Amino acid sequence: MEKLGIEPSLLLAQVVNFLVIMVVLQKLLYKPILTMLEKRKREIAEGLNLTQKMREEEERLKEKQEKALAKAREDALQIIEDAKKQAKETEKEVIADAHTQAAAIIDRAKTEADETKKAATSAIRREAVDLAVVMAKRLLTSVMGAKEQHALISKRIKDLESWVAREEKKS
Amino acid sequence: MLHISLAAERLWTVWGLGISNSLLTAWVVMGLLIVLSILATRKLTMVPSTGQLIAETLVGGLHDFFGAIAGKRLDQFFPLIASLFIFILAANWVGLLPGVGTVGYFRSEEAEVTAEHAAPASGTEAVIPVEEDSHAPEAGVVAEETVASPAAAATEEEGGHGKTAFVPILRGATADLNMTLALAIVAVIAMQYFGFRNLGTHYLSRFVNFKDPILFSVGILELVSDVSKIVSFAFRLFGNIFAGEVLLAVIAFLMPFFLPLPFMMLELFVGVIQALVFSMLTTAFLNVAVSHGEEEHAAAESHASA
Repeated sequence: MEKLGIEPSLLLAQVVNFLVIMVVLQKLLYKPILTMLEKRKREIAEGLNLTQKMREEEERLKEKQEKALAKAREDALQIIEDAKKQAKETEKEVIADAHTQAAAIIDRAKTEADETKKAATSAIRREAVDLAVVMAKRLLTSVMGAKEQHALISKRIKDLESWVAREEKKS
Repeated sequence: MLHISLAAERLWTVWGLGISNSLLTAWVVMGLLIVLSILATRKLTMVPSTGQLIAETLVGGLHDFFGAIAGKRLDQFFPLIASLFIFILAANWVGLLPGVGTVGYFRSEEAEVTAEHAAPASGTEAVIPVEEDSHAPEAGVVAEETVASPAAAATEEEGGHGKTAFVPILRGATADLNMTLALAIVAVIAMQYFGFRNLGTHYLSRFVNFKDPILFSVGILELVSDVSKIVSFAFRLFGNIFAGEVLLAVIAFLMPFFLPLPFMMLELFVGVIQALVFSMLTTAFLNVAVSHGEEEHAAAESHASA
């Protein structure tokens, strides 16, 4: 043993040395590093999981969006179609309305014109009668006596009246 | 003087404990490892810094590597086997640094003998003259600082005080049987500890078994083999590293420039291999110890259930 340099005290010292370095390295190196490695492993797994989920979600959303878009396009077409139809109907209605209104206006104008004409005719007639009466009066006063005058006048008035009645009937 | 000594030299005696140069190196290695691991794990972040990355690669790599051997019991063994690997590797490589084994001082053997009451190393030293300039640029500086310079030693020798011996301040920690034997003892005791811890008293039947004569003789063989494991562990590591140091010393003695480089590479490689061998064998033996009688257990359980 002596020739190999083995000394119990040195042996013990080296055993203690190794045990010390083992405990220290466990506290200082292995535990924190392995914990960190484990933590990172977990984190990466979580991250990958999350990415996968996100991708699925994204795909789902895209599909949804496309569906919504297609539906919107369809709706828009429908709305345009409806609007066109409605517009056509409205147009027809408006035109019909205009026609009836125009007819009414024309009617009214016609009646008004008739009335005006009638009024004018009767006014003229009345004036003509008055004029005739005045002329006849003046003539008769100069030619006949009161008696003949009266008989003539009443005959003339009767004639006139029958004429008027005839004229009125004519119109 | 080409200096080859099988035993580590005693430098000082403190409180009755002889401080050998390899014990000093072991402390240096420990200090180095502690400082490096503090630096590496001081600020652990999710996105690792370079130092953290190196530590993570080392520890994570060892964890995966030994996990392949130790299986589900890795968490129990890991501090022991990882420390064995890291400590042996660091000790092997520190032994290769320039200045380790070459920086030192001369002293007369008589002084050494008086200093060491047991004098374990005196008979085994081979002292051959050599110029110690091969890979130790700071050798001269240290030699001046030390008590006895080469010149003084030479005059001392002429004066008839007996032979002088070169004492390096640092010596590869694993190039000392005390260190390797200590590691081997720790490893073998750990095997027994984990055996008892996992199997309880059933583990005793590995060594002492009266069930039948074959198992009894196997138990004795197991006992012998566990003791021999101490010896084989200790001498394998010591032999490889010590032989490497001797080889480097001889090559440097023959041709100090360039020629030692390939051998240096070789010794770096041997350092890794020996650290790996030591820790892997320990893992394998630990596995054997904790799985003793597993088949019997399984068989008994299946019988009981059937």
